[in-house]
Amino acid sequence: MSHKKPDNSSSEKSPSLNRRDFIATTATAGGLAIAAPSIIKAQSSSDEINVGLISFGQQGQVQVEASIDIPNVKFRAICDIWPYAQKKGIGTLLRYGHDVREHAYTDYREMLEKEKGLDAVLIASPDFMHSPMTVDALSAGKHVYCEKLMSNTVEGARSMVKASQDSGNLLQIGHQRRSNPRYLHAKEKLVNKQDKGGAGIFGRITHANGQWNRAVSKARTIRDRYNLDEATLKKNGFENMHQFLNWRWFKKLGGGPVSDLGAHQIDIFNWFLDAKPTSVQASGGVDYYDSYEWHDNVMCIYEYDTPNGMARASYQVLTTTSAGGGFFEYFMGDEGCMKISEIPRLTKIYREAHAPEWDGWIEREILKQNATAYKASEEVKVDVRESPPLAEYLLPVDLKKKIHQPHLENFFEAVRMHSADKSKAKSHLNCPGETGFETAVTVLRVNEAIEARKALAFEKSEFNV
Amino acid sequence: MKSSKILTLAGLALLLTASSSNAADKVPLKIEVPRPVFIGTPKPIKGFPHLERKGLKRGEILVPAGTTNIAAGKEVTGSDDFPIIGDLEFVTDGDKDGEEGYFVELAPKTQWVQIDLKKASEVHGVCIWHFHSQARAYHDVIVQISDDPDFVDGVKTVYNSDHDNSSKLGVGKDLAYIETYKGKYIDAKGAKGRYVRLYSAGNSTNAMNHYIEVEVFGK
Repeated sequence: MSHKKPDNSSSEKSPSLNRRDFIATTATAGGLAIAAPSIIKAQSSSDEINVGLISFGQQGQVQVEASIDIPNVKFRAICDIWPYAQKKGIGTLLRYGHDVREHAYTDYREMLEKEKGLDAVLIASPDFMHSPMTVDALSAGKHVYCEKLMSNTVEGARSMVKASQDSGNLLQIGHQRRSNPRYLHAKEKLVNKQDKGGAGIFGRITHANGQWNRAVSKARTIRDRYNLDEATLKKNGFENMHQFLNWRWFKKLGGGPVSDLGAHQIDIFNWFLDAKPTSVQASGGVDYYDSYEWHDNVMCIYEYDTPNGMARASYQVLTTTSAGGGFFEYFMGDEGCMKISEIPRLTKIYREAHAPEWDGWIEREILKQNATAYKASEEVKVDVRESPPLAEYLLPVDLKKKIHQPHLENFFEAVRMHSADKSKAKSHLNCPGETGFETAVTVLRVNEAIEARKALAFEKSEFNV
Repeated sequence: MKSSKILTLAGLALLLTASSSNAADKVPLKIEVPRPVFIGTPKPIKGFPHLERKGLKRGEILVPAGTTNIAAGKEVTGSDDFPIIGDLEFVTDGDKDGEEGYFVELAPKTQWVQIDLKKASEVHGVCIWHFHSQARAYHDVIVQISDDPDFVDGVKTVYNSDHDNSSKLGVGKDLAYIETYKGKYIDAKGAKGRYVRLYSAGNSTNAMNHYIEVEVFGK
């Protein structure tokens, strides 16, 4: 969702700082800082959740923007190894009314040790740090919201789930589509069969397809003055600034485009098909860019043994052409199909010409007719060898919040439930660690299949922690 | 060397060449553009009922002979003394790179930056790069010129896209627009003044305000 135009009419003080404000608030924060770590809880209302943020890169910024409108969520501390990002994070939070100036760290372990009052930690660091940070935070008694892909290794992902289970603390993985009301409606009301409370309007889903194509882009750079020193880079696992800024493309740091982009969508395959794959074959390569390690284009095909029979799902991620842009997941059934995307205008639903009419579902507001689209009854005669054009429908649900906000809301709701009922809190999560683990196993096998140049099977036991 | 600087034929902000088809005292203005940069997933742009149609090509810009970028290296002040990140000096430092580290980020709500041209000047155009590594639009882009550093007296508004007067500087009829690496050129029609002030009020992606570079063409 776009950011709203600000309401400048209120008498609320402008969030900009002049020199006098800055000195005054610094003095206040300095005084508070002497005792702050131990008194956070005492200052909080009983409903307030105290949050620490690890890493303020692009995704950390997204997490902050998505959290600031959630009531009673208070950022209390921040950690980033990079002074540039840390300063930006502190400044951003301050303008939103969260003063972490005296609670800023470059070592997340120090933050966990000193900030005893934190209830939860949001982790938005490079993938290879997810596992140690999550394990340490859970072990320190914090609930954790961790970005996807939960780890760049299956073992790393497994240790995160085990730490959650052992500690009894909550772990939510950031596959945010799972809390998007449009996706929830599509799954629960349209895809699910009637014995599961849905309409099952697509019949048996036999195929799925997903894509995320991006135009060519240059490697990220930074103004020289903001470079990290070599010792800090090495200490934190990076060879140089190029790796640091473009970590997604390096094998020991991330999982490549199929992990960065594909993980969101392959996760939806597992969810909507109610199954885990039985095999995957894939092709891809480092065919275009010369300073990266991971495949810049990937195409793969999964086989799923679904409750309704075999289904095949293909996925492609290209970073060398936008091909018109857009990203979506497409589910094809014998009675209808749905192309769904976080971009509402790309979402389309079609009824097969031979399928039962959907008028009853429209009356029940399960879906709505696309008034501007073609109606089957208007169609002129088509060639007998062609399938006739299909009537088009739309989802009746909109997301009026920032796209990551519902998933964070779901996490914070569970955190509030936790002290009263741990089991209920965990079951409230839309993407607990166990689900994220299944997706990580599904996604990471693609890179293995590319290297093996053959189909690789999944054993059912591989999806168990 | 920055790639933005090697994209142009010369390291000058302007390329002034005489044109036989133009009026005798007008010459084409060439604006130096940085390399395009695209990062991350574009966010939908909503809440702009008056958004300029995408893909509009910037036509030839004619300015009086002798027009130069008179903002280059000039002092910049702003409504937010402590930017979230970056420095106000970035606004006139000549570097238009779209990557991290090249923009100054100011607080939410209506904020401004102000360039002191050091002397009363005749301003023919203003080109703004707020943030161009992502397709986004900024609310309430307002550009004013005045001899009064407080912008109380003698204020000339040369651009205003605040269609609902939410920034309380008057209703504007200019269109909101999507940021690109080419920058937004505004015809200032020779308005006179020593100071140029630029407002915005957040953008379609987040609540913050950004400036990579502002060029003021005049003499």
